[in-house]
Amino acid sequence: MEVMPQYDLSRLPENTALKQQKLPAHRLDLSASVVLSIFFATGGFCLCMGVILILSAKSTKELEINYTNICANCAQLREDSSNFDKECTCSVPFYLPENMEGNVYMYYKLYGFHQNLYRYILSRSNRQLLGKDIWDVKDCSPFQVSRNSTPIIPCGAIANSIFNDTITLSYNLNSSIHIEVPMLKSGLAWWTDKYVKFQNPRASDLASAFAGSAKPLHWTKPVYELDTDDPGNNGFVNEDLIVWMRTAAFPTFKKLYRRLKRVDYFAVGLPAGNYSFNISYNFPVTVFRGEKSVVLSTLTWIGGGGLFLGLTYTVTGALTLLASFAILAIHLMLKRTKKNFL
Amino acid sequence: MERELEAAEEFAPPGRRRRPGGRRWEGRMRTVRSSLLPPLGTEDPAAGGPKGEKLLMRGCTQHLADNRLKTTKYTLLSFLPKNLFEQFHRLANVYFVFIALLNFVPAVNAFQPGLALAPVLFILAVTAIKDLWEDYSRHRSDHEINHLGCLVFSREEKKYVTRYWKEIRVGDFVRLHCNEIIPADVLLLSSSDPDGLCHIETANLDGETNLKRRQVVRGFSELVSEFNPLTFTSVIECEKPNNDLSRFRGCIIHSNGEKAGLHKENLLLRGCTIRNTEAVAGIVIYAGHETKALLNNSGPRYKRSQLERQMNCDVLWCVLLLVCMSLFSAVGHGLWVRRYQEKEALFDVPEADGSSLSPATAAVYSFLTMIIVLQVLIPISLYVSIEIVKVCQVYFINQDIELYDEETDSQLQCRALNITEDLGQIQYIFSDKTGTLTENKMVFRRCTVSGIEYSHDANAQRLARYQEAEEEEEEVMPKVGTVSQHGSTGSHQNIRVTHKNQSIKCHRRTGSLAEAKRVSMLSKHTAFSSPMEKDITPDPKLLEKVSECDRCLAFARHQEHPLAHLSPELSDVFDFFIALTICNTVVVTSPDQPRQKVRVRFELKSPVKTIEDFLRRFTPSRLASGCSSIGNLTANKSSHKSGSSFLPSLSPDNMILRLEEKLGQGAPAIASNGYSSQAAQAEGWTPQCTPEKCPRKEAKQQDRELRYEAESPDEAALVYAARAYSCTLVDRLHDQVSVELPHLGRLTFELLHTLGFDSIRKRMSVVIRHPLTDEINVYTKGADSVVMDLLLPCSSDDARGRHQKKIRSKTQNYLNLYAVEGLRTLCIAKRVLSKEEYACWLQSHIEAEASVESREELLFQSAVRLETNLHLLGATGIEDRLQDGVPETIAKLRQAGLQIWVLTGDKQETAINIAYACKLLDHDEEVITLNAESQEACAALLDQCLHYVQSRNSQSTPEYTESNVSVGFSFIPASTSSDSSPSPSLVIDGRSLAYALEKSLEDKFLFLAKQCRSVLCCRSTPLQKSMVVKLVRSKLKAMTLAIGDGANDVSMIQVADVGVGISGQEGMQAVMASDFAVPRFRYLERLLIVHGHWCYSRLANMVLYFFYKNTMFVGLLFWFQFYCGFSASAMIDQWYLIFFNLLFSSLPQLVTGVLDKDIPADMLLREPQLYKSGQNMEEYRPQAFWLNMVDAAFQSLVCFFIPYLAYYDSDVDVFTWGTPVTAIALFTFLLHLGIETKTWTWLNWVACGFSTFLFFSVALIYNTSCATCYPPSNPYWTMQTLLGDPLFYLTCLIAPVAALMPRLFFKALLGSLFPTQLQLGRQLAKKSSNKFHAPKETSAQRQPPGDSATELSEKKTMGPFESLPRDCASQTSQLTQQLACSPEASGEPSAVDTNMPLRENKLLEGLGTQASGPLRPEEAVSVECPGDSRRKPTSTTQPAPLSSLFHLPSIGSLNWISSLSLASGLGSVLQLSRSSLQMDKQDGEFLSSPPQPDQDLHSLQGQATGYF
Repeated sequence: MEVMPQYDLSRLPENTALKQQKLPAHRLDLSASVVLSIFFATGGFCLCMGVILILSAKSTKELEINYTNICANCAQLREDSSNFDKECTCSVPFYLPENMEGNVYMYYKLYGFHQNLYRYILSRSNRQLLGKDIWDVKDCSPFQVSRNSTPIIPCGAIANSIFNDTITLSYNLNSSIHIEVPMLKSGLAWWTDKYVKFQNPRASDLASAFAGSAKPLHWTKPVYELDTDDPGNNGFVNEDLIVWMRTAAFPTFKKLYRRLKRVDYFAVGLPAGNYSFNISYNFPVTVFRGEKSVVLSTLTWIGGGGLFLGLTYTVTGALTLLASFAILAIHLMLKRTKKNFL
Repeated sequence: MERELEAAEEFAPPGRRRRPGGRRWEGRMRTVRSSLLPPLGTEDPAAGGPKGEKLLMRGCTQHLADNRLKTTKYTLLSFLPKNLFEQFHRLANVYFVFIALLNFVPAVNAFQPGLALAPVLFILAVTAIKDLWEDYSRHRSDHEINHLGCLVFSREEKKYVTRYWKEIRVGDFVRLHCNEIIPADVLLLSSSDPDGLCHIETANLDGETNLKRRQVVRGFSELVSEFNPLTFTSVIECEKPNNDLSRFRGCIIHSNGEKAGLHKENLLLRGCTIRNTEAVAGIVIYAGHETKALLNNSGPRYKRSQLERQMNCDVLWCVLLLVCMSLFSAVGHGLWVRRYQEKEALFDVPEADGSSLSPATAAVYSFLTMIIVLQVLIPISLYVSIEIVKVCQVYFINQDIELYDEETDSQLQCRALNITEDLGQIQYIFSDKTGTLTENKMVFRRCTVSGIEYSHDANAQRLARYQEAEEEEEEVMPKVGTVSQHGSTGSHQNIRVTHKNQSIKCHRRTGSLAEAKRVSMLSKHTAFSSPMEKDITPDPKLLEKVSECDRCLAFARHQEHPLAHLSPELSDVFDFFIALTICNTVVVTSPDQPRQKVRVRFELKSPVKTIEDFLRRFTPSRLASGCSSIGNLTANKSSHKSGSSFLPSLSPDNMILRLEEKLGQGAPAIASNGYSSQAAQAEGWTPQCTPEKCPRKEAKQQDRELRYEAESPDEAALVYAARAYSCTLVDRLHDQVSVELPHLGRLTFELLHTLGFDSIRKRMSVVIRHPLTDEINVYTKGADSVVMDLLLPCSSDDARGRHQKKIRSKTQNYLNLYAVEGLRTLCIAKRVLSKEEYACWLQSHIEAEASVESREELLFQSAVRLETNLHLLGATGIEDRLQDGVPETIAKLRQAGLQIWVLTGDKQETAINIAYACKLLDHDEEVITLNAESQEACAALLDQCLHYVQSRNSQSTPEYTESNVSVGFSFIPASTSSDSSPSPSLVIDGRSLAYALEKSLEDKFLFLAKQCRSVLCCRSTPLQKSMVVKLVRSKLKAMTLAIGDGANDVSMIQVADVGVGISGQEGMQAVMASDFAVPRFRYLERLLIVHGHWCYSRLANMVLYFFYKNTMFVGLLFWFQFYCGFSASAMIDQWYLIFFNLLFSSLPQLVTGVLDKDIPADMLLREPQLYKSGQNMEEYRPQAFWLNMVDAAFQSLVCFFIPYLAYYDSDVDVFTWGTPVTAIALFTFLLHLGIETKTWTWLNWVACGFSTFLFFSVALIYNTSCATCYPPSNPYWTMQTLLGDPLFYLTCLIAPVAALMPRLFFKALLGSLFPTQLQLGRQLAKKSSNKFHAPKETSAQRQPPGDSATELSEKKTMGPFESLPRDCASQTSQLTQQLACSPEASGEPSAVDTNMPLRENKLLEGLGTQASGPLRPEEAVSVECPGDSRRKPTSTTQPAPLSSLFHLPSIGSLNWISSLSLASGLGSVLQLSRSSLQMDKQDGEFLSSPPQPDQDLHSLQGQATGYF
């Protein structure tokens, strides 16, 4: 490495703001006025937001009925997996104290069901669900093939563990008249899921398209019989399947099950009164000490949300205001001592 | 590369003398034969040398490296494997690759394996591209150099043909012309110079621009005909290639078996430039990478900064944290699995065979997967980011216009790229004195001849005027110096022009342009020729005497003993000036070089080489033989009869000279007609010109044509001084020196030998034959301590001896006086040798010269033999002026809490006085001087001093106990006298230092030194310098900085944490070894206080931020494990996970790391104590790290749980929830950075905006790219959906705010209640930029507010003492003076003993007068101070106990020391001098100035309430 640098005639560095590190800069100073104004502004803003959010959250109506123990006999039945083909239904009556206006959504909610396990999340075949290559089961370990080595459709742990209770809601106008509340099975999943990520194989007949495949272990009927009424909701594009396949973030989660079809009685929502859930109890939760419930809820502009966000804003705002008062007090105190000092 | 490594290992500063003792060099030998000869066959090689070895070596000779320069590391093929191999030397890279590979294991993989490799590959690729680019530029420059042309002798064509440099091989013959660059290490075999000389400029090697002389190998210089390579049959044996520039040994064995030694004077080194010589030829000895120039090039150095070490430690903590987190999850997962084992839960994913994993296996898998998932904790981008930031920092430091020195046209260079932040943490500065604190521009100030002092007052006045002029001009326009330098550059430029023409004509030399350019740049500041040094106003008295000598001698020159006509004094004067003129190695050059030397050789070659030679020359028949040898000049025999080598008027050389003189306009035609006409003119001449004017005029005229190029500035100064007395050096050839005197005309001294200067002898000598007396004289010039010991012992019997003795003692007194004035002293002495003595000495000297093995030692001994029994002529005092701004810089650096030690090779007195001048020592502080003659004495002295210092400390501030001190002595002395208890300063000389550095004493020494305000080590060797630095570094665990300019500082610079070289007068060796090169000492202030602080604070904050960022991010993932059964699931998409650090959040922190200025530069300079934050590692200390980690944990909790709870009861899926979390993290990071960033420029805004934009755009694109890809997240349309969700915005808004509020709150609270210095400084800066600009004068002396309280109390307690020194000063100082001046002081302890009581008495008197004097204001204050009653009596009443007035221990120690010296006869002295002669009005000013400034920051603290 011979040192032979190029020497310019003058090595005077360029006098530019950047090179001399003299870029016009705004000095961030935590002076009293700045800090106080930041704190007061933030506190005020958060408090306002909190109040708005709480008010809007209050306007949502929600009703949750945990039917794990109400249908105890069914639960017991399901604890033994050998009884998988035995049907068990139970009815859960409840009273809706006030009208639920607007769009009413019906969710099922699971407690203690870990859909976010690492190996669980992985066990699915997106390509299969896309309908392009329904025999692609390589990612679905360990639910790739059935015992007789036919590929499982839809494969994987997620699909296998699908929530398979059937829940219908009936409006008990009086003790004799039970009106089944009309529910929509569509519009539950993301639009992109239904039309982009999940597609049935191109075939005139779904059953023939899936011929030669096995249904998942836990399933009672094959995928092409998920919804025989509506061909647009059958097979991979079945919205219950799509919703289930979107793995929940937390062990306690709810998933959209149905939404209210606002016709007749229910044009403005669910009127107050007696209702009952008729549940075909298939999904075992007690084995892993889980629980399940069904939820009726309306939404506001912030989505489900609940009270929490509003509370967070309120508490943060309050604390910030408190802190800013503390700072103000200290500031004033120091100012006085300074006067004494000088 | 390996070779270079080896070279680096054995690299020793070339300036240091290397003793070959122990190492047998025969084993490391190479044989070089002419490449023109047929390869060695059966014929027996020339005799000499161990044959077996030679045969072994022969093989090597054939495949010796060619001259190709190859500095590239890689070839096209080897690049990838080699570069990867090198990169994997870095542990971090291995770690990351390991993690990435772990991903390929199916059971534990967390990400898609390919994706996980991406960041590692990215990092590796970035580094590889950087390396590739560097290598390519190296390749290009190699190519350029390799294809330079050079004349090489061709065997086929039997003439010199042009070849590329790379084709030159060892054994080739090359021919070089003037101004060509030497392509390889060449043994000089022939020169166009009739004397076989060749001048080279070594600027490319060491930056020294003076010409060095090289000499044709003995035996070849006598050849009359042109050297013919075909006839060269000799074999050269020399050392194996090594990197010692200053040494070359070997021998040449002629075909007839004759052997001749080779030394460095015969070797032309690669990279040097031929100057002043028309053409040379030689044989290539070392080529290519074996040349000394290349072996010396060790490339840039890699150091690891302290911050980086600390950071690595914290990285290890992070690793530990990572392992803990992973372990925790593993255990958690194991438990979880066990819990659900038998449950057959639906979500349980069994193994492929249907069985479920055992908890233990699951835990192990989980552990490994967790390590992969949480790998972000070990920041892969940290190292890359730090490197980028450092490169930018270096760039900005280089670009700082305020570190640019106009005079030398150089800016600060950072040579080490990775220790910029160390600049902000320096605690100790070790400085060289000469050239570092001083300018190393030597100005002749005073001299004493024959015991009479010539004060040169006019000269002093002139210098003062210069200084004033300089100061004035500094403000207005470029300096005079530069203007005149441009003038002198002209000549060089001419050369360059011709050189260019030549090169275009002859060779393809485009590539050399760069080199030529560089050479021309360097020669711009050609050595030591500022007008200040050249123009010397002679002392009229002395000038009178000189001209009297001149006239006298001009009359008497024909007589038998011309000098006998002079009085001894005048004779001394004459000899003194002759010695000044010729006892040096100054080369005289004139603009019209290369000079044609057609001088006829009328004598045999000199210096005398053999005894026969000597006999021939010094026997009576000599003249005849001499004359016969010239033949054509027999007509001038008469002139030779005088026995002088006085040149005949008709010699062609003289003709040229005369021509030159004509150009010089009106210079008296001196040598034209010989002495007689001169003598006749003489009478008329004197009245015409007054002695003051004429010589000056003459000097001025000669000034235009003669330039002196000296190896050291002292020499040039002396030659210029002699010229001022019209004793002008006009010509120096290899064997003769010509001196011109106004009346005597040109005197040509035959130069028999030059015994060069070395640092052990500390003197140099020339042996000449005096043209007037025909005597052989030895002129010696050297350090006074050495020369005084070598004087001829004079008997006190006869009058002459007594006179001599008197002269000596007088001279010694003057020498001491000079030293006190801070002048560099040199003694000039002379010895007259009889022919017999000379013959005797010559015999041994020739033997020494011819010796091959221990030539150096023998020559040394030979020199020592010659330099004895000297006759003292006189002494000179040369001033080495302080550099601009040195005292101010030192004061600033001190305020900044830096301890400054000066390590100098100068003598004690000089050093002390320079120290006073640059305010390193203060007049009202005590100086402990440690001069011990033996180990025991040193130990005892150290004990005594320690005791004294401790008792003193406990007296003033009782809490200063031992334990306290050992923590770190950070007492900051104030520059005003208001601080009445300055800690003492320590002065130690080289010998005592050697004792003190012994293992047994070093702790004590350090302990003492630590408590001293400053330490001054005099007479220290380079090795000692480095030992001191090493000691402080290792024992005190302090950050050290060494600054120096010369080769003797190299070792110190290398040892220190930060080495700073001054690219000054003494070549480039220090710069080459340094990490930073500054043009002047004063730039150190800005470099450390501003840039050092910035670099440290930026990097510290950035590193902390990095850790925070990664911990916080990993925290998010970790909290999630609690909700996913510790299954190592991540809610954040793997893409975000992997690229978050690398892309999304990296730019803003880089911008902040590069540009943030926590405090503006002017504020830092005004308040240097702000620097202490770096020293105390305030910004990046362990607790800061842990606090940061805790904050990170808190923030991650907030950022996790707010979105968690917000989405708690919803149908959100894992990755749709993870995306807002990522966004929240990003916003939190940016806001956090916003709080930490002190200055916001548009770049910061752009970077933050860019980061946000990048994240969202990447997310959007990524989420639309593929419907089925990227399992498990499969994020199709996630971001798009989220953007339509108000919840997303609401959480993104509140979470960062909630996360950062506490930090902001505590920051504000701390800022208002317990502000740090930095915060105060920041506020002050804001204030001053808003309201007013505080006057700089007051702020310069500000006190750190933290100390002010203690200082206040100290002021009270020490009140009476501070006035003491001023009154006693004069008395004690005189006394000290006497002590120091008396030559017996060191030798006769009794003198010390008798002096001591006297001194005590004097002190008592002094105290008496002082105490009875009127009360000073400070005392009055202390009286009024009611809380301080114990001081009352001492300050008000005179008959206070002595012990309290004057520190009793000091007196005790004095007594003790004197008794010690009596007992052991060691002559140790402990001086407690608070004084010097220079006590002047400065101090008075300091005293009268009210001690107000210390309230500045303090009062600010009060005002700070308005700020947080």
